This record gives sequence, structure tokens and C-alpha cells, in this order.
Amino acid sequence: MFSFVTRRLLLAIPTLWITLTVIFLLVRVIPGDPTAAVMGSYVSEENIKTLKRQMGLDRPLIVQYFDYLYKVCQLDFGKSLITGVPVMKEIKTALPHTLELTACSIIVGMLTGIPLGLLLAMKRNSLIDYLGRLFSLGGISFPVFYSAILFILLFSIRLDLLPTMGVGKEGNLASRIQHLILPSITLGLLMMSYLTRITRSATLDVLNEDYVRTAYAKGLKGKKIIFKHVFKNAAIPVITVLGMYTGILIGSSVITEIIFHRPGLGSLIVGAMLSRDYIVITSVMTLYAAIVILINLLTDLSYGLIDPRVRLS
Amino acid sequence: MKHLKLIGIFILLLWLFIFGFHGQAFCEKVLRIGVKSGDMGILDPHMSATTANLPIMDSIFNGLVRFVPGTVDLEKIEPDLAERWTASPDKKIWTFYLRKGVQFHQGFGEMTAEDVVFSLKKAAAKETSAWWSNYLPVDKVEALDKYTVRITFKNNIPSVLALVINNRGGMVLSKKAVEKHGDGFKLNPVGTGPFAFEEYVPKQRTILKAHPQYFRGRPKIDKIIYHFMPVDQSREMALEKGELDMIEGTKAEWWVNKMRGTKGILVDALPPGELTVVHFNLTKKPLENLKVRQAMAHVLLRDEFREVYGKQITEDALSPVPPGYLGYTSDVKQYEYNIEKAKALLKEAGYPNGFDLGKMVTSTIYLSSAELLQQQLKKIGIKFEIQIVDHPTMHKMIRSDVNALIPYGAARFPIADEYLFQFYHSNSIVGRPTGITNFSHYGEVIPGVDDLIDAASVEPDSEKQKQLWIRAQQKIMQDLPSYSLRVTYVLFARRNNIDLGYDLKSNISLHYQITEKTDIK
Repeated sequence: MFSFVTRRLLLAIPTLWITLTVIFLLVRVIPGDPTAAVMGSYVSEENIKTLKRQMGLDRPLIVQYFDYLYKVCQLDFGKSLITGVPVMKEIKTALPHTLELTACSIIVGMLTGIPLGLLLAMKRNSLIDYLGRLFSLGGISFPVFYSAILFILLFSIRLDLLPTMGVGKEGNLASRIQHLILPSITLGLLMMSYLTRITRSATLDVLNEDYVRTAYAKGLKGKKIIFKHVFKNAAIPVITVLGMYTGILIGSSVITEIIFHRPGLGSLIVGAMLSRDYIVITSVMTLYAAIVILINLLTDLSYGLIDPRVRLS
Repeated sequence: MKHLKLIGIFILLLWLFIFGFHGQAFCEKVLRIGVKSGDMGILDPHMSATTANLPIMDSIFNGLVRFVPGTVDLEKIEPDLAERWTASPDKKIWTFYLRKGVQFHQGFGEMTAEDVVFSLKKAAAKETSAWWSNYLPVDKVEALDKYTVRITFKNNIPSVLALVINNRGGMVLSKKAVEKHGDGFKLNPVGTGPFAFEEYVPKQRTILKAHPQYFRGRPKIDKIIYHFMPVDQSREMALEKGELDMIEGTKAEWWVNKMRGTKGILVDALPPGELTVVHFNLTKKPLENLKVRQAMAHVLLRDEFREVYGKQITEDALSPVPPGYLGYTSDVKQYEYNIEKAKALLKEAGYPNGFDLGKMVTSTIYLSSAELLQQQLKKIGIKFEIQIVDHPTMHKMIRSDVNALIPYGAARFPIADEYLFQFYHSNSIVGRPTGITNFSHYGEVIPGVDDLIDAASVEPDSEKQKQLWIRAQQKIMQDLPSYSLRVTYVLFARRNNIDLGYDLKSNISLHYQITEKTDIK
């Protein structure tokens, strides 16, 4: 187990290095630079040149790259080119909010998607099954920005139940939960849809296995068969999807955070993209890559907890 | 049954816990503003002036003089940090007498002539200011005593007061604070304004708090929170819900009508507006031919450009300078809509069937204007393809002469000189070291209006100066390096319990100006 984790973590280093390098180069290929975010668009070329020198952007790209890489190796992710705020400080402020939102969305998705998937499998080809599949298809197809706006219009503006923006008052748990409900449901809907579909199909596969038929023949009750025999065996593909789509969920949190005006990596990356803050973009994108790698590792490790055969092999 | 009861009680308690705090009352008067931007930039007024940070800096700093709140009339300027001022007969020596007892924020002490001299010198230095070139005519800035500042000019300039007004390089900074914070001043600004900087959360918000020792009296509002929200719908819904008090609006008549129909919301559409112009790149054949440009002017129908946003929030753009700017005139040559005349002019120019201008790179902001241009010019056989890129990319590309036609909208400091210099002086031609936004290469491919702009900039007689600016606008409309399409007002919305504390007629900070008199009722 230890050597497996160590090997995977060591393999993550070149992956992160490649990610960092590609992003570093890509963001500099896009036209535009951070000087416009500071001075606006109506200053002379001479002013822009002076500011670029102050930002260190007049140096050859290769020098900038190695300078950045050297700092990253020392776990110094640099400072925002525009405000001078250390990137790590910005990430430390933003990351907990993104993790909080993603975790809550996963919980919402799991609590609704898995039971619904099981129900649809058990009621295969019934009206409930058709409606449920249609609903989950809608959940996947609906763009997050659209469902977010619809939820705000319904729950905030019409029903006046929930806030439209922010994270609530610091230290006030009720206010924090209030502000988390709509974004979590918006994002959780996506996870619910994925989980419903995969749980349904994985359950159907297992339901056709001989041991399930035997269990029924032995006279075991439906509930016991589903929870003890079927679900446990259907869980591996569900966990794989859960791991895979957590990465997608973190990506989708960008839009959710922007619409609900929540702090987080999403707001950070959009603000940095709009102002071409190269250092912030590169560092945050590399962090995204690191999170996805970590989630994949945790997913692989969790297989062993569910199925002892995976651990043995 | 017992389980169901327990679950029911749990849900009820949870509901009360979460929603019981809904109507919590707070004693502090907090004004919440939604800014249409992903972030703030920096708060050094000498280095930065973007739509996101202008309103923030406006509340933190003062100039020696200021626009009367709610107006941008350069001819009705009033004292700010200076109580009064005098000018020598040749208008080259100006003396400003400062208010006594004005306090900087955060305990940085009294504002004196030393701070004013320091600020003006900083605004004039290339390394510390984006507006340094405006201060090139300044010969000397000196403190005559603790409360008197003298500025000596090498020559006359368009408006001395525009250099010391509460905008950009005219803002007065605390010398001690700049020396203490160094580069960090840009996120620790210290001024004398009604509100002091408190906190900045990157890409989220900036908080200002009331400056109790403000020389015009303690502000009625305790705090201002500027939320950076680039999505229009998010700002709008938060205002509707009452989570924001003020927002920047969406440029569309339907939005104005919708918000005006919403209970508790007031909408303000304010001049001076943003002038949208199509610049003809004279380096691209056959646009160097005057007859071609005249033909294009004859088919560009301004009414249709106004209808894109709606007539309530736009006005006709007759001149190359926006209406309301000092030195503006509408007494310029106009080109009536006439397709036959346009076709005849193209035939005379040797293009009876029109021509292809290749690709036009633009961003979604100018897409509707680009599509209208495409549609209207097609009537006389002039074609081009539209390529959409993001806004920063567009800014970079239009400065590299990629386009033959450049639709561009802008609002500037309300003086004709600023607009004329940035868009029509040869020093401002894009690609040059001094280049700004002269996209047409006017003054390089064909003779321009450099002499008129330069003469106006050193003319001491304000009436003669205005005449020079008027002549420049008339010549531009004869030469047609560009064609003005539309003026769009800046749109804001606020809750109706917000009392601005002044009569709002126009605005320079591209947002509501918050003064010590602004209040939440």
C-alpha cells in the first residue's frame, strides 16, 4: 500500500510539471497582457513598456519560466502581477470555499443520485424509470449557469427564501448554510444526474448475476438483497464515476462561484483570466491539476475498502 | 411513528436554525455596491484608472479642486483641498492656498503643501505615473509655506485645473504613507477623502470605512462594500433581492424598462456617454481614398446603431468628440443617408462593385456594432468577415493594424483635447512608442489636425482655444478618418432608499459617486 501511494505521488510530479509548463506557455500566447488591467486601455505604448519592465515581463520568456519554476520548487508560487498579493495567500483564502462547495455538492449528489439510481433499476422500464432517466438526462444537459439563474429566480426572488450571493457572515453557521444551499443544489444536480445513471446501469448488471438469482431463490427479502448483495457489488463503477466527476464538478464550480458571487478558485481563475494575471492563472491551474490527481488516487485507494480482491491484487 | 415525529422535530429545528436569522438587524449603515468587473486592479490613482477602481479611489482621495458632485462641468469647478487659487496674468504661474486641518486616513497626520508637491511630482514621473505626459508642461512645483503651493508652467496648457482635479494624477496622496508602504501603497491607499481603505479580498470585494475626521464632516454611511461581480444577471438579481444597494447596469433599453418596472428600484442613465466610432484604417487599401470613406459615411445609418441599445439610452453622435465635453461642437459636416450617392462615389473611386476588407477582429462588446456595419456596408458591395475574440485579445490585435475597420467605444476626461489627442494626433498612432488609440493613422497617411490640437493646448485664451478644437472637429469630419455612430449613456440602478446627497446630472467616476452626504434611508 505504502509503495503504491509513493509511486503514484512520484508520478504526479512530472504530470504537474508538464501541466505547469503548458499553462505557463499557453497563457502567454494569448494576446493581451496584465498592464491593461492596471492602467486601462488608453495609455501610451511607452507607459505600457515601463510597467512591463516593473512587472518583469520584459525579460526573455525562458528566463521568466525558469525563475517561476525555481520558485515553485521552493513552494513559492509567486505574487499576483497586478496587486502584488502572494498567490498562496489568495489560494489559502479561496480553496476552503471551493472545497466546501464541492463537498456539499457531492453529498447532495450522492444522497439523491444513488437512491434514485437504485429505485430506477428496481423499477426498470416502468413510468418511474422513464421519468427518472429523463430527469437525469435533463440534469446533465442543463448548463450550470442556466439552472443557477433559474434557482435564484425561484428560491430567492419569487419565494424570498434564500440569498442570491456571497458566503454569509463569518462565524454565523446558519448564515453560512443559508448561502450554501442554492449553489450546492445547482452543482449537486449535475452530480446527482451522473450518479443516477451510473447507479442504475451498474445495479441492473448486478441484478442479472447468478448469486442475486440464488438469493431470491433462497427466499431473502428484496431490501436485504439490494443493500447487502447488489449495491455493494455495484459500488465500484459508482465510485469510479464519483472520482472522475468530482474533477468535473470542481471545474463546474467556476461558473457556480461566479454566478453566486462566492469566493473560491473559480472566482480567482476568472478574475485572473480577465486581467491576464499570468502567475495567478498558472499557479491556480496547476493546483486544479494537483487536486484532480489526488482525487484519482483517493478513488483508487477506496476500491480496496469496498472490494478486498482489489486490495489483494 | 415515533421516528417520524423525531425526524419532523429535527427538520423544524434545522429550519428555525437556518432561517431564523433571516431578518437580523445591524446598526451599521453599510452601502453594498455591485461592480461590473472580476477584480479591482490597484488603488494608486496615479497609476491606474479602470472602471472597477475609479469609484473606489474617488471616495478615498481628493484633488486640489473638484467637479461639483453629480456634474462633470469643467467650467464649474469648485475648491476641494485648496480653499482658493490665483493665476498670473500670463496663466503660467498658479498658486493654490490649501485648507488647514485636513487629516489623512489611518493617522497619517495633516495634509500639507509637502504632500501636494510630492503627489504632483509623483504624477509627473514616468516610473510612478501613467499620466506623466500630461504633466510635461509643468516646470516647477514648490511649497511656498505649509499651506501654499505654487505650480509654474513652461507653456500654457488646455486646462490647469484638470491637472489638479479629483481625478487620476490630480489626486493628493499622503507622502508619509507612500514612503512607509512603498510598492504596497497600491493596496494600502491613504488619502483625505470621506472614506478610508479597510480591506481588500482578491477577486471578491473591497471595503471602505467612514473617515470620521473628513473635513466636510463625518460621512452618514459607515461602510461601503464594493463587490466585484462580472455577471450582469448576478448583480441584477442581488439588487432586486435587496442584497446590493447599487449596481452598474446592462446597456439595453429593455433592461432599463424592466428595472424601472421593478418595485423599489431607481434607474439612472447618465451623460457624458460613451462615444462609439468606426475608425477607418488608412493604411489598408482602398480606405486611404477619401471618396471611399465618404461613400461609407453615406450608408452608415446612425438611427439603426442607436436602436441596438434603444433610443432612451442613446443619442446621435454628430462629431468626433462626445457631446458635453469642453470644446464640443455639432457644427460639423454631416453625411446624409444616400445609397445612390454612395454608389456614385465608389464608382468615381474606381470600385463600382465594392471591395472586400478581409477579416474584422472584434469582441462581443462591439459585436452588434460590427454586424450592423457589415449589414449596412454590404448595400454598396463592401464586405468583411467578423472574427470574435475575447476583449483583451481584441485590444492587442487592433493595435497591430489587423483590422481595416475598428469599431471602438470610449469615454474620456470631458475635455475635447483629451479625445482629439488620443484618437487623432499623430503621436497617438498605434504601434508608435507614444501610441495610444489613433487606429486610423490619421496624421501619417494623410495630413491631420496635429497643428490645431497643439495650438489649442498652449492657447491661453479659452475662447480661442475652443475655436481651435472646433476647427479640428470640423476638419476631421471633412477628412473622415473615422465616423461617429452613437453615444450611449452610462447606466446605473439603485434601491430607492439610497439618497445620493446631491443632484445627479452626470458622472466622471463611471459609477455613483459616494460622498459624505450619501445616506441610506
